[in-house]
Amino acid sequence: MDKDTEIKSLQDKIEKLTKLQSIRSDIVSVSAHQIRTSLSALKWVIKMFMDGDLGKLNAEQENLLKKAYEDNDRAISVVTELLQANKAEDVIEKPYAFTEVNIIELIENSIFDFSGEALARKVEIIFLKPETRLPTVNIDKDKFRVVLQNLLENAIKYSNPNSKVFIALREKNNFIEISVKDRGIGISEEGKKSIFQKFYRDTTAQKKESLGSGIGLFTTKKIVEDHSGKIWFESTENEGSTFFVTIPSFKENT
Amino acid sequence: MSKTIFIVEDDLFLQGLEATKLKKEGFSVITAGSGKDVSDIIAKKPTIDLILLDLMLPDMDGFEILKMIRKESSFLNTPVIVFSNLSEDKDIEKAKSVGITEFMIKSNFNLDELTDKVRELIGK
Repeated sequence: MDKDTEIKSLQDKIEKLTKLQSIRSDIVSVSAHQIRTSLSALKWVIKMFMDGDLGKLNAEQENLLKKAYEDNDRAISVVTELLQANKAEDVIEKPYAFTEVNIIELIENSIFDFSGEALARKVEIIFLKPETRLPTVNIDKDKFRVVLQNLLENAIKYSNPNSKVFIALREKNNFIEISVKDRGIGISEEGKKSIFQKFYRDTTAQKKESLGSGIGLFTTKKIVEDHSGKIWFESTENEGSTFFVTIPSFKENT
Repeated sequence: MSKTIFIVEDDLFLQGLEATKLKKEGFSVITAGSGKDVSDIIAKKPTIDLILLDLMLPDMDGFEILKMIRKESSFLNTPVIVFSNLSEDKDIEKAKSVGITEFMIKSNFNLDELTDKVRELIGK
């Protein structure tokens, strides 16, 4: 096969794979939506039984329904996890497209994405906006949104109920620093060494949330580094964690 | 007089559960299962205190439905809770841009929590 034919053949393969990937992603998304709808119905019906809306239950019935409710919630988490992994994969597969972005607006949108989740888990998200005007940043908006979502999601997921998550923003030496702080379970000493590794899940995290793919922070780090940025954390077990991200601020050439 | 919730939901089982719960908690309920139902109902100009809106309906998506509802001046400021199992960024962003009050993912909440949210927005 000559070089041109080989290139053409590879291009065809890439195109075919891209198409397949998109079909697969759509199938996952639509099926997950349908499964979630059925699981929602189950959740509500079981809860009605548990609340005695359909008659008083004996202790054994109550106990079994409670287990069914918890199992159903676990199934919902699996589907949610699947949807998130699918979404992250879609975003990451795309080539980078850097544009000038107002980071405050992007953070506000990401907080809105999680308002429902925070409400459900009784966690309050507080955005400490800087008092001075910040320069815009040159980032891939969709990919960087994944960064903010992953950090916020972890902070909410691993927070204790009725606690607060703080997201703060400041400019420091031509860098924008974003921090996400929670008062949650924190990271174990062992976990601190491996938290950014693909598929790694800390034991403290597994105890609180049995489900999780272990790709969130791995992906987050990759995206931050692709923006010439840095990511690190400070954490104490049983007290909480703060994740910091810095990216270069955008300065127009004058 | 009790407050009225307009439930827009095509899954009749879910619609029935939502309606039963809200009625039990003292609200009046109007239901619609499609864009066409919504159009027929709003033509009669009923009193509606809050709209509970699903996003995937057979003949129209929830955003088109909301646009149709908002055209009627009396529903211009009616609070809207999007109650859906869609949770893509594009859906949430779109919901925000068309001025919905809350975005709740069905599977994350039980109906007590939904009722609490309704009460928080419009009172008893």
